[in-house]
Amino acid sequence: MSNLEFDGDGFLIHPETWTKEVADEIAKADGIENLTEQHWAVIKVIRQSYEEKGMAPMVRVICKETGLKLKDIYELFPLGPARGACRVAGLPKPDGCV
Amino acid sequence: MNKLTKAQIDAALKLLKMPADSKLVTHLNACVHCGLCGTSCMYYTTLKEPRYMPARKVEMVASLYRRYCTLTGKIFPHLVHARELDEQMAEEMIDVLFGGCTMCGRCVKHCSIGVDIAYIVRVGRQMLAAMGLVPATLQATVDAALNTGNNMGIPTEEFVDTIQWMEEDMQSEEGFEKATIPLDKEGCHVLYTLNPREPKFFPLSISAMAKVFYAAKESWTLSSTMYDVTNYGLFNGNNEQAGVIAKHLHDEVLKLKAETLILGECGHGSRATRWEGPNYLGQAYEFEVRTVVELINDYIRSGRIKLNPALNAEKVTLHDPCNLVRNGGLLQELRFAVRQSCADFVEMNPCGNDNYCCGGGGGQLAMSEYNERRLKIGEIKANQIRATGAKVVVTPCHNCVDQLTQLSHHYKLNVKIKTIAEIVADALVMEK
Repeated sequence: MSNLEFDGDGFLIHPETWTKEVADEIAKADGIENLTEQHWAVIKVIRQSYEEKGMAPMVRVICKETGLKLKDIYELFPLGPARGACRVAGLPKPDGCV
Repeated sequence: MNKLTKAQIDAALKLLKMPADSKLVTHLNACVHCGLCGTSCMYYTTLKEPRYMPARKVEMVASLYRRYCTLTGKIFPHLVHARELDEQMAEEMIDVLFGGCTMCGRCVKHCSIGVDIAYIVRVGRQMLAAMGLVPATLQATVDAALNTGNNMGIPTEEFVDTIQWMEEDMQSEEGFEKATIPLDKEGCHVLYTLNPREPKFFPLSISAMAKVFYAAKESWTLSSTMYDVTNYGLFNGNNEQAGVIAKHLHDEVLKLKAETLILGECGHGSRATRWEGPNYLGQAYEFEVRTVVELINDYIRSGRIKLNPALNAEKVTLHDPCNLVRNGGLLQELRFAVRQSCADFVEMNPCGNDNYCCGGGGGQLAMSEYNERRLKIGEIKANQIRATGAKVVVTPCHNCVDQLTQLSHHYKLNVKIKTIAEIVADALVMEK
């Protein structure tokens, strides 16, 4: 993968180094061949929350902003909103049991 | 690593010099080097490096004990293989005691003379904590709990919004139109608790349990601020911080005048609160503390809820969270709840007290540094699951859920991971 720094879990250490190409690469590594419009909608909400509040959004906010159902989010990102979506969106790993 | 200061070393050694702790001295001097623990350990079995042998982990702490607390070790350290507490030793301890042990206790069950190896590992972690050498990722999770009341730093307003959203979602389902998720209600029988990853990312387990409470006509509530069942103070080795976190729930029960504190599906949180909590707090609880699985079983046994196992037709297996089964004694309780809720149950091999850890215990999921090892040792668990042929793995621990989800993805197991509340809620038969 590109010359970027990742932590042991594969999360970007510096979220500001994230680009759309990085998102594509991480997604591929997770078995998501093509990021669809729905994927990008989720990624956009996550990045916006991170830029405004410095943390990943609640999954409620992702659903509300994108109009997607919880089930859809879990299907779009099989590793879930944290290890799946937040990682593709270039956020550092959230604290806790994720 | 920076050179250790005298203050750091003194703080760590103070923990070994506590004369009141006869358990520590006994267990540090009891290992007979038989090696049975080696094949018990997921790290040693998978990575095949001697440093991961549980006996070697005990020996690290024991060699320091001999160096600083015995006469021979003080005068002729080499004669008794006593080691100095220096930077190299500290680095080895961090790598193995934090990064190479899930504190699952499987080695303890197999030890020919019953050395409590996981306890010695925690004493080693306590020494590292006293020197300020807890891995930053693990400490961040503890700090979030200390600073905000929950280990993911969720603001109260966002938590409340999520609970209301889940409540509306649940009420749109047939049979649950009148079900609620009460917040901060005083004088209830049950104060229920959550793992913060539920409201943050996986809230369906909250509404699943709310359905069970509704079916059982339980008087219950959640707190809008102190709902976190986890206590990473068990893992970072800092008893003072563990005590502050334990006090969060303790004080909340008194504030809301609840009769019983019910611990959500979290292995280490149940252990840290129910069994270690009184030690951290320095007092017995003034109220009853139980796990939610035991409460659900009360409902089933007394007929307060009715289940139809045919509603969960897929083949189900059970992963035993170490802190609830091997270290908590809930072996039969977990099986009762799962067997009552599904039509086709199969055990893993080995299972129960001899089951393997998911590989993510002991704070491993929080420590990104050791992710590669965590996924490697998880292969044992992945193979166990694959061999059962089950489509669903049930486990009453959100930490295990996360590790198992990752294992399912990584090792292509294609299984669904569920909590006990979720499988019970799916089997509920509601009265018309």
